[in-house]
Amino acid sequence: MTLIRFKASQEQDVDLSRTYDAVVVGSGAAGGMAAHVLTSQGMKVLLLEAGKKLPIEQELRSMEWPYDHPRRGDAPPGSHAIRYNEYNVRQPPYATKSAFKHVFSYVGGWGGGDYVKNILVDEKDHPYTGTRYAWVRARLLGGKTNIWGRLALRLSDYDFKGKTHDGYGEDWPIAYADLAPYYDKVDLYLGISGHKENLPHLPDSLFQRPNKLTAPEVKLRKTLATMGRTLTPYRAGVTTDGVKHNKYRSKCFGRGACGRRPGGCDIHAAFDSPTGLIYPAMDTGNLTLRTNSIAHEVLVDPNTGKARGISFVDAVNHRTYEAKARVVILAASTLESARLLLLSKSRQHPNGIGNSSGHVGHNFCEHVMGPGVTGLVKEMVGAPPTLDDGKPGGFYVARFRNLQDKQSGFIRGYGFEGGSGFSIFPGNAWDTPGFGGQFKKSVREHAGAFINMGGFGEVLPRYENYMDLDPEVKDSWGIPVLRFHYQFSDNEKKMCEDMATAGREMFEAAGVEVVGVDKNILTEGWSIHELGTARMGTDPKTSVLNQFQQSHDVKNLFVVDGSSHVSASCQNPTWTIMALAWRSCEHLADEFKRGNL
Amino acid sequence: MKISRRKMLQQTAAAAAALPLVKALAPLAPVPPKFFTPAEFALVDELSDMIIPTDAQSGGARAAGVAAYIDARLAESFEREPQTEWRAGLKAVEDLSREMNGKAFLQSTPEQRLAVLTRMAAAESDPKTPAERFFRSIKGSTIRAYYTSKIGIHDDQQYKGNVYQTGDYAGSDAT
Repeated sequence: MTLIRFKASQEQDVDLSRTYDAVVVGSGAAGGMAAHVLTSQGMKVLLLEAGKKLPIEQELRSMEWPYDHPRRGDAPPGSHAIRYNEYNVRQPPYATKSAFKHVFSYVGGWGGGDYVKNILVDEKDHPYTGTRYAWVRARLLGGKTNIWGRLALRLSDYDFKGKTHDGYGEDWPIAYADLAPYYDKVDLYLGISGHKENLPHLPDSLFQRPNKLTAPEVKLRKTLATMGRTLTPYRAGVTTDGVKHNKYRSKCFGRGACGRRPGGCDIHAAFDSPTGLIYPAMDTGNLTLRTNSIAHEVLVDPNTGKARGISFVDAVNHRTYEAKARVVILAASTLESARLLLLSKSRQHPNGIGNSSGHVGHNFCEHVMGPGVTGLVKEMVGAPPTLDDGKPGGFYVARFRNLQDKQSGFIRGYGFEGGSGFSIFPGNAWDTPGFGGQFKKSVREHAGAFINMGGFGEVLPRYENYMDLDPEVKDSWGIPVLRFHYQFSDNEKKMCEDMATAGREMFEAAGVEVVGVDKNILTEGWSIHELGTARMGTDPKTSVLNQFQQSHDVKNLFVVDGSSHVSASCQNPTWTIMALAWRSCEHLADEFKRGNL
Repeated sequence: MKISRRKMLQQTAAAAAALPLVKALAPLAPVPPKFFTPAEFALVDELSDMIIPTDAQSGGARAAGVAAYIDARLAESFEREPQTEWRAGLKAVEDLSREMNGKAFLQSTPEQRLAVLTRMAAAESDPKTPAERFFRSIKGSTIRAYYTSKIGIHDDQQYKGNVYQTGDYAGSDAT
């Protein structure tokens, strides 16, 4: 099948002598959304991306068979992906003394390091220090949206009003009703696949065609329903019916590549920021893009204390440039935006811009993961192979803890992501003992008979979990790096114990033979769902941004990425990041037109 | 992000145990091996084919060119350690064969070879001797090379995916 691919319009020559209406730092989900909303409102926007623009289809090669690749997908010799044990027995920086030519985060070690070797950052160039942390970064146009896991969930008032519910932390300065219209806009503009469930704690989106389930998943869904729990088809930020207003994206054809690699979709059915948001924004004529532009300081007007632009280093020629703008919007990712705020010290903002509260870098939160369960579905043993992996994901089990009930060991909750059935590689071969004809037959007969799921739990935000600037260590461009002061606490550990127990219970209830229970907690950062560090709030003394992600201190400075989140919830954050950015940028454009910024 | 992160961990661990392994479409290519000596190559070829043999459904590791893939990956290995370990592992197999059967592995009868490999595999979950540890290495590499080969994917597993689905998508609806 051939698909007509439209190439994005050429990058314009970047004029740095003019003053743009807005400069956006970062081109991932948040920055892409800012560019989309502001340019559609007629604002002239300069988008700075630290990484390069890749011919992404050539990188991803989603349909390449393993045997057509000289190393079956592995990266070339001299590349190394950091292993679980390395993250835990050592301290960051993990790569500085490595003998390898290139070192990547753990994602580079899974199912196709060669496909992400130009997408993930080389850890050697991007050190960080402090407590252990598995930090996954992608520096290129679109950032991590090029390889994201695609699970696209809404938050609810159980999340936005968590403090009201259980007394911990802070409520968000918005409620679900404030964000719901913007979730709708994101759904319709980008496309999302899912099945309507009417759950108050996991609101439905405006779904396109849902993904199919395997027979064991249907059975587990029915069993969980009797327990008051919900297994739903993977809610994927993937357009399964197509988005007719977007000429850069195809609908999903269920090719399945997204499940056997770190991610990525070379026909862009899975949302990515470049084709979903940035190329259409460029087509308005209002967007100017400059890649290889590493922002390292928000520039301040010495008279007014307001932001006046961005100072950035060109990643290739190492020269420093200034971009001037009337509004500055940070969307560099939770941790990079916090770093940029802290780096932007001036007479007016001695602790970093927007940081009069001292809360920048603090209240960090994310998702804890690791515990999970693997089961054998006996009636599937020996079943003929079926096409089970031709979809963007398996299933999701919605949170069921601390909604109506109250757990004794922990507050908040977790969900499970899972899958089952046949895939391109029979992973059960690793655990099948012996050798010879019997081994081979056993692998074949059991290949489609396993089901597994793993928990993703809410990590509570705490002031004492924070990042600051390392006073000595710098990256390859001479910019001070982040230093982590962060670890899981008792609530996360208790929650993880419950994940393993509850996972086993659910499989057993469905008649699935539990063959493995994983109780280990993966390294901090593993979920790639880092949040907080510049949270929103109503009180400028305890929060960094207001409900429109606008700095309490500097009214023409906005931070529209995950750093603004007040709590992590247990739902994957990308859809919320984009809905919030849409809402804030609409407000921003209104204020801009009124001359209030 | 998604469940794959769990698989990722498992596969990373497995890959670490397995070893860097390359494509070789021609089984037992007449070209000389790149890393192994011809004798070593013949031994790897035989061992891998004993681990995953031909059966009524599909060709085995030999037909899938597993030894050539392992050889090519070892030849370009950035680290010396895997090369050293494989050489030592193959020597441990020969040592065990001489100890058990009084002759080199490939000079032994099929029954004698099976006895050696069975001994190597006896402590798979907790290997102690060099030959036992090497069994895990070569088994892991054979699994990785075989199930990513044409024969492994199409003939043995009869994998249905990596296609553009049109019409009805496979699977069941959530009802």
